[in-house]
Amino acid sequence: MKRDTTNDTPAPKRRSFPKAFLLSLPMMLLTFAMLTGGKPISGPSQIVAFLLTYCFLNLFFFLMIYTGKTDRWRAPVFSAYSVAFVISFVTHLLEARGSMALSEANILRAQAPFCHMVIPMTLIPGALTKTIIFPGTIVGSFASISSMFILWIGASLSLGRGFCGWTCFFGGLEDGFSRLIKRPIIKRINPVFTYLPWALLLFIVLTSAAALSPVYCTWLCPFKAVTEYVQVISVKTLVQMVIFVTLFAGLVVTLPILTKKRIQCGLFCPFGAFQSLTNKVTGFAIRIDPDKCVKCGRCVRSCPTFSLDDESVASGGSRISCMKCGRCVDLCPKGAIHYHVKGTEPRSSGTLQRLLFLYPAFLFLATMGGGFFKDAIVRIIKLAATGHMI
Amino acid sequence: MEAFLLGLSNGGVCLAYCAPVLVPCLLAGSGGGIPKAVGITAGFLGGRLLGYLVFAVAAWIIGRALLGNAGARESIIGLAYMMLSVMLVVYAFTAGRSHSCAATGMGALMLKLSEHQGLSPLLPVAAGVATGLNFCPPFLLAMAASAEKGSLSYSIFFFFMFFLGTSLFFVPAPFFGLLRSHAAVRTVGRLCAGLVGAYYFFSGLIMLTGGIKSL
Repeated sequence: MKRDTTNDTPAPKRRSFPKAFLLSLPMMLLTFAMLTGGKPISGPSQIVAFLLTYCFLNLFFFLMIYTGKTDRWRAPVFSAYSVAFVISFVTHLLEARGSMALSEANILRAQAPFCHMVIPMTLIPGALTKTIIFPGTIVGSFASISSMFILWIGASLSLGRGFCGWTCFFGGLEDGFSRLIKRPIIKRINPVFTYLPWALLLFIVLTSAAALSPVYCTWLCPFKAVTEYVQVISVKTLVQMVIFVTLFAGLVVTLPILTKKRIQCGLFCPFGAFQSLTNKVTGFAIRIDPDKCVKCGRCVRSCPTFSLDDESVASGGSRISCMKCGRCVDLCPKGAIHYHVKGTEPRSSGTLQRLLFLYPAFLFLATMGGGFFKDAIVRIIKLAATGHMI
Repeated sequence: MEAFLLGLSNGGVCLAYCAPVLVPCLLAGSGGGIPKAVGITAGFLGGRLLGYLVFAVAAWIIGRALLGNAGARESIIGLAYMMLSVMLVVYAFTAGRSHSCAATGMGALMLKLSEHQGLSPLLPVAAGVATGLNFCPPFLLAMAASAEKGSLSYSIFFFFMFFLGTSLFFVPAPFFGLLRSHAAVRTVGRLCAGLVGAYYFFSGLIMLTGGIKSL
């Protein structure tokens, strides 16, 4: 039974300006080191890009600390990161290949950039045949297989499925689209579809092992539409292209707008299902204090990935698919939901735990996003100055 | 390997649809703990294997009789893939149980038998044979794939590997703790069956098109 929650929303846990500045200082130093790489920056466009990126990232981190709100400031950075990624990635492809299309020659030369979505598909063939079933390079190139594995392992151990809420360069697109309208038009989604990512994971892992090729990338990845697409040279490749565009338009744009949910992440992405398992090994979780919870259901309705339901709220936590975006923490009218470090006192306020989570989470976001931000800004300056980005 | 993976990919469905038979067998037995439950599961799986091997011979006969011509073979197998895939998709997305395979009816029968006569040691084996002789969609997919090859030894081997793939899902069956997650396994299995169905439909379509062209 719902309890009354009228007009008794607690004020956010604001910190004093000096204290928030001091707590933000480590991030300022870390992002400075990470964005400069320890080298002097040369060229006016590079300096402008560095300053804008540096100020943007640190301003939003400072606001997280100062206001006590997480998702409110995470979301703009995360969405901007995805847009910057698309700009940077596509222009890189155009420079390297002259086209976004992935040709047979590119595949034969192992020139396909590796992304984390492929990881679950590589494991069984890797174990059985000692082969990575992806036409990319192991080391030394843009988006090499080893660099992506290392990033993924680090982020998974630190954040678990928080990877999808803070680090995935695709997730920000639908996160952004899901915030375009104020109220959802589609409010009811059959919960059975929350099992679809698991079914898809099972399907693609097995079919990829059988076919010894990354089936998801070949047939089902919605993000092919905005990164690299298969060169249309036959009916088969035309079908693939239609699938990519349809999935992107439906799962990443239209449905997130209509539902205000991350539909692709919550109801489709097999990597997301796979990544959910890492929530078991990470030290961070979301906890709900049953004494403070008034069962208003706001967290359940607002969770972008269907990771909260009445059952999980009653049990005092989120489902395994939680990506720790912090929206429920921000919106809870009683402050009953908080970040939690496993093994610590479950009914603590979560203020310190939140900080302990925010540092690695934002650092991963800044590390992954910083380079793309800078590059995208340089490209945009170049576009404004010369009329082209390449 | 193909048969094993086909079995693995459909094992969730097999587990979901065989559970109404196997679970009453497991629950009806009194005492004995895990070893007895393992014995019942092993008997059940042995029965299933027997049913599968009978089908292996049938698939070979069908293959020899009908599929001599390459174009005809491609067309028939492609058509079979498509029809069976449609069944698989219907199975996956039909909420009611009226379309489920005969295992459901068998489950009720098993319950009655165990209630009135007790559980004889051969009952799980008989139940395994009965479920093994069911035309459930994943099994028919395996049959079509086996018939495509046309060799008796290959057909038997194919069904044996398919059996192994599906049987992995039954390994945890004796452990009752996992039964609580049965609904989730069934749901994931059904959805996966739908995806596998779509995959085979597309494969069937390609084969049918190729077969018609070469006729």
